[in-house]
Amino acid sequence: MDFHQDPAIEEFRNMVRCVIAEELPAEMAERQKAHGGTNSVVADTLAWTGKMNARGWSVPHWPVEHGGTGWSAMQNYVFMAECSSAFAPEVCWGATHMCGPVIYTFGSEELKERFLPDFREGKYYICQGFSEPSNGSDLARLRTRAERKGDKYVVNGQKIWTSCAHESEWGFFLVRTNPDVKPQAGISFLMIKMDTPGVTVRQIPMINGDAELCEVFLDNVEVPAENLIGEEGMGWTYAKFLLDHERTTSSFIFQNKREFARAQRLALRETIDGTPIAHTAQFQQRMARIEAELTALEWSVLRELANEDFKYDRTAAASTLKVAGSQLQQTISELQMDILGSKATRFYPYPQKDREDAGPLWPDDLGGRTAQALIARASTIYGGTLQVQKGIIAKLAFGL
Amino acid sequence: MDFNRSDLQRMLHDSAERFVNEHYSLEHRRSLRAVQDGLDTAGWETFAELGWLAILVPEELGGLSGCMADVSTLAEVLGSRCVTDPFISSGVIAPTILSGASTSQEDLLGEIVGGTARVALAHDEPNERYAYSQPRATMLAASGDGYTLSGQKMMVLDAPSATHVIVTATGPSGAALVLIPMDAAGITTDAYALYDGSRAADIHFDGTSVAAEAVLADGDAASALLSLALDRARVTALAQAVGSMEAELDICSAYLKEREQFGQPIGKFQSLQHIMAEMFVETHQARSILYYALSRLDGGYSPDECAKAVSLAALRVSQAAQLVSRQAIQLHGGYGVTDEYEVSHHYRRQFILEKTLGDMDYFTRRLSSL
Repeated sequence: MDFHQDPAIEEFRNMVRCVIAEELPAEMAERQKAHGGTNSVVADTLAWTGKMNARGWSVPHWPVEHGGTGWSAMQNYVFMAECSSAFAPEVCWGATHMCGPVIYTFGSEELKERFLPDFREGKYYICQGFSEPSNGSDLARLRTRAERKGDKYVVNGQKIWTSCAHESEWGFFLVRTNPDVKPQAGISFLMIKMDTPGVTVRQIPMINGDAELCEVFLDNVEVPAENLIGEEGMGWTYAKFLLDHERTTSSFIFQNKREFARAQRLALRETIDGTPIAHTAQFQQRMARIEAELTALEWSVLRELANEDFKYDRTAAASTLKVAGSQLQQTISELQMDILGSKATRFYPYPQKDREDAGPLWPDDLGGRTAQALIARASTIYGGTLQVQKGIIAKLAFGL
Repeated sequence: MDFNRSDLQRMLHDSAERFVNEHYSLEHRRSLRAVQDGLDTAGWETFAELGWLAILVPEELGGLSGCMADVSTLAEVLGSRCVTDPFISSGVIAPTILSGASTSQEDLLGEIVGGTARVALAHDEPNERYAYSQPRATMLAASGDGYTLSGQKMMVLDAPSATHVIVTATGPSGAALVLIPMDAAGITTDAYALYDGSRAADIHFDGTSVAAEAVLADGDAASALLSLALDRARVTALAQAVGSMEAELDICSAYLKEREQFGQPIGKFQSLQHIMAEMFVETHQARSILYYALSRLDGGYSPDECAKAVSLAALRVSQAAQLVSRQAIQLHGGYGVTDEYEVSHHYRRQFILEKTLGDMDYFTRRLSSL
């Protein structure tokens, strides 16, 4: 074992930090800082992707021939950590980390030319149509039907939890092309333009006042057959490829670190009888335990990044990151709420651009905290619930 | 001991349940967000008609001379539908303080009972968190025959729909409780909503004139009256939380039977059965400690004994409320975090109930100081 970090990584970190400081507009970072929703403001996401693309950094983890930087896994990790702690907007995850990799791995040359440059440039937002009202955890039984008729597919069905569908130009959808085989085998991966006749989007009002997640209704939507990615019936395999591709993402390590640091700042400012909360025994104890959990999570991520030989199925390690990381998101947001006390109860309206100035009695950094804490209840639900993840661990690690 | 409701309490409970279930649908409650001061006018008239605002008012002042167990009976039902109307302010805090005031407040109590007056309590100040024993920075100064009031209050619950406000201040003889009409000169308010839809305001008093008879209590009497009112308010909030949790048990158990994944109702999965069972245990414990607190408040115990009981109950109920409201969302999956399902409303309501009159940290400190 060698626990030393390559010294060149610290040089790389400094270089990345300088570039971000140069490129990230202050007002964009402020919006992200006060952010209380699920996704960043779409315009910010696209503008930031464009800025990074000008540096050749918008999809650093992609293969070099498709516009990647050739950075190591550790360099990519450092890059993302720096973007997060500087409050850069989130990227369009669907494009850069989901659909993009599927297209460059399985898609035709025509599809690569058509989509990959747009994804790199942040030309438009794209959304993900996987979950359905009756099929969340049990995704394999999805029902949205795509029937081949000549040179097109006719799609009928309904998707849910589609982030920013109302602001997306394209969506990538899992659809059932063959109902007569076992559920996993009849699924295909289809690109659908969101302004196609028959596509209707409804924004879902959420617990935190935002409405970025949507329902998408597909009613006799005609999709050109060339929008199929890869082969018919392989959609499930591609979706699993996606999940295996991004094992450490579900730890939300960057967000967890950034929000814990924010909790530390809030605890220094908020006081009890004149003493900063950060200096009271009760909070010190609590924060120490959370810091220990956070540190363990980061080292679990590092083990994964360094490709440690692992006695168990690797998917069990990915699920472990998800179990620990999703619960930590909730623990840290609960900590922030307890630090703010009654101030956390005030409602800040959505969308953010309309957020009023709450006046001098209300510190600027309150905006978005409670909204974020409320939506954090979903962290143990999306991407496979806590219970599903535990089931995966029991099965894959122990054969139970 | 008899833990069953009395005949009168059963009548109160049943009529409350009928009205609340009929009137406070999810859609109706969501529509109240558009109402400027957040008050459900029709609902509040019924609060008055059914005598709910008279429970804690003494009979000789036109009330029902009820007890906190009666209030709890009603509050549990209000909690079961996340009702945010200003019952704690006008049905619990105001009657407690006004009926114990050194000057007669019979007229105002009559208006409260009739539903035409609503009274908020302005106590919290900037840069503190639940520091309820500290002297107030808001000052009541002698001026001619009366006084003037100056200072800044924060998070005054239910102020936007209130006709009057009771202000805690430091006066010539120490603590003071002062009654001010909301339309008095020298008041600036900044109103806003909380995450559960209830309303609050920050209120600035800038040399507001106060008549001598508007001082409701001062010195130790004011402190004692305030403590009693706050502890009653806290227990009312706890009763609402218990009602909310019990409603969530019904909602979630029904959902587990109805929602199917992997070809069967999700209630067949043992991991979810255990969550449901844990929620049941927490809710049961919460109701038990609520009864303990009620027994102290209604049983003629000393203020310190009451404070201890209320603090213990607040700690235990809050712990239960956190677990139950979080798991209720978990059991609903993505639907649980939408505004369109009841459990997200219960979550927000319980969050506000837990954070407005002292949180778990506050009650831990309070217990160690008793």
